[in-house]
Amino acid sequence: MMTEADYYALFEAYDRGELAAPARADLEARLAADPALALRYADFAELTGTLQAQSRRRALRQQLRSIHADMTKDQTSLKADVDAVKAETSAPAPMLRISRTERRLREFWSGYRATVGVAASVAVMAVFATLLGLEMWRNSKVQVPASYQWMRREINSLKQNQRALNRTIKRIDGTSALPTPPVNNGKFGGTGFALTSEGYLVTSYHVIRGADSLLIEGRDRQRYHAETVYSDKAHDLAILRIIDKKFNGFGRLPYTFKSGQADLGERVFTLGYPREDVVYGEGSLSARSGFEGDTAAYQISIPVNPGNSGGPLLDGQGNLIGVISARQNDLESAAFATKSSYLVKLVDSLRNTQPATPYHLPKTNQLTGAARPQQLKKLQDYVFVVKVFAKASE
Amino acid sequence: MSKGNLSSSGTTDEQLIAAIRRGDERALSQLYRMHWPMVSHFVLQNSGTDDDAQDVYQEGVMVFYEKVRDNSLELSCQIKTYLYAVCRRLWLKRLTSKSRFGVRLLDDEEHGPYLHTGAEDDLLAAEEQDRRFATMSEALNHLGEPCRSLLEGFYLLDKSMQDLTAEFGYTNADNAKNQKYKCLVRLKKLFFAHYKEEQAR
Repeated sequence: MMTEADYYALFEAYDRGELAAPARADLEARLAADPALALRYADFAELTGTLQAQSRRRALRQQLRSIHADMTKDQTSLKADVDAVKAETSAPAPMLRISRTERRLREFWSGYRATVGVAASVAVMAVFATLLGLEMWRNSKVQVPASYQWMRREINSLKQNQRALNRTIKRIDGTSALPTPPVNNGKFGGTGFALTSEGYLVTSYHVIRGADSLLIEGRDRQRYHAETVYSDKAHDLAILRIIDKKFNGFGRLPYTFKSGQADLGERVFTLGYPREDVVYGEGSLSARSGFEGDTAAYQISIPVNPGNSGGPLLDGQGNLIGVISARQNDLESAAFATKSSYLVKLVDSLRNTQPATPYHLPKTNQLTGAARPQQLKKLQDYVFVVKVFAKASE
Repeated sequence: MSKGNLSSSGTTDEQLIAAIRRGDERALSQLYRMHWPMVSHFVLQNSGTDDDAQDVYQEGVMVFYEKVRDNSLELSCQIKTYLYAVCRRLWLKRLTSKSRFGVRLLDDEEHGPYLHTGAEDDLLAAEEQDRRFATMSEALNHLGEPCRSLLEGFYLLDKSMQDLTAEFGYTNADNAKNQKYKCLVRLKKLFFAHYKEEQAR
């Protein structure tokens, strides 16, 4: 009876080829015939095979390590050679020594570079979002104080009221209500006046803000299409130009533009369209600064209403000294007008931009010395209704 | 000065493989030097150290070398690409086991088509082999003295039976041999018990 150890001795001899030919043939025959023996041999083979493979692996690892060591040695010696050559030709370069802390930092940096980058960009974005948000919030708050009201008129509401009125009348008649036409997108009105005889007009910026199309209507119900040439949000001024082909000039303008400051207490007047007909307003210049000390505007004591915005403000001699823009609700009879000096400056700067139609400001004043009704008769042909058709979003 | 210049481009991949198959140590050395910069760069770029690179690279070269020696290598691409794929895979695995987050590797542009190199299968086989080695080491540790030293001496350290006889104080080589076979039988039981257990897991 053979023990397992005996079998192992036999197998080892067989694997090494140390068995004599007959014994070898005998073993091979038995392996083929006896599955239990074959399994035992397979186990033996796997066991010794694994051991041998492990031994080979160990040797290989050793070999690779030595190759690596050789390689680094070669490289350093190569480097040393190069350094030596360098040292001969030039001054010795300082050795680069990296301290322990710096190495740690470098490892940290190479490991967390991406994370640090993401964190930094998130931080930057958060800062900017906060700043922008604050800025927008402040703007939306400050934009127009409640007591400060721009004098542009919403025509739509009037129209709608009128339509409702018509409907009631019709219903009283017994006829059925007409289908209401689609509501026009918010329509605003203001006043404007001629700037040059070639078709430039002035009005307030807030009148034409968000405008889709502009319509100019004179006292004689003549209508012209206009476009915005320039708008100055800071001084609430806008320059329009009539673009109709049939338009052939306003003729000589009766007033001139004052480029200096007007005096306190000056008697001033305005013409405007707070309703369908032209309306005259009179008062005096009550302060040389506007709302909250705005030096670009005058305070005047003319009662103004929505629709007066963009109207001309003239002194007794017929010099244009301002453009009506707004009123203060919590003060008795306090209206504001942008100073004409800013308008003149604006025109001067526009002149330099080589416009399609040149700017010729009127030079002679035909209103000086005339009585007020005569002045108004001459003036009223140069004051217009500005009708604004706003975009759908407005 | 020309010492580091073994990696001349004169040798083709086929010649290199043939030389390694013959057991030419200089060919292995040449192979090793040729592709080290690539793998080193890759590992360093992906938050590894020089030691990591060396480990991964040697592991990779071993996989390749053993396949070549077994004559079981089916290379469908350049050696360079194969080694890159193997090392990339190995390093990815180490990184994922180290990191709590998902890992994205920065790849070298020039070694693009590493996905179809058959490296995955070879690596799986290599891992299986590693497991087997680990089990074997464990079994050897459980074996106890003097069996462990005897078997390690014979198989792993390649000592001759004569040396071992002298070292362990056996009266003659046959005695030592018998002892060895007995140890082998015990090792077999331990090894297969562990190995089956591992596989069942």
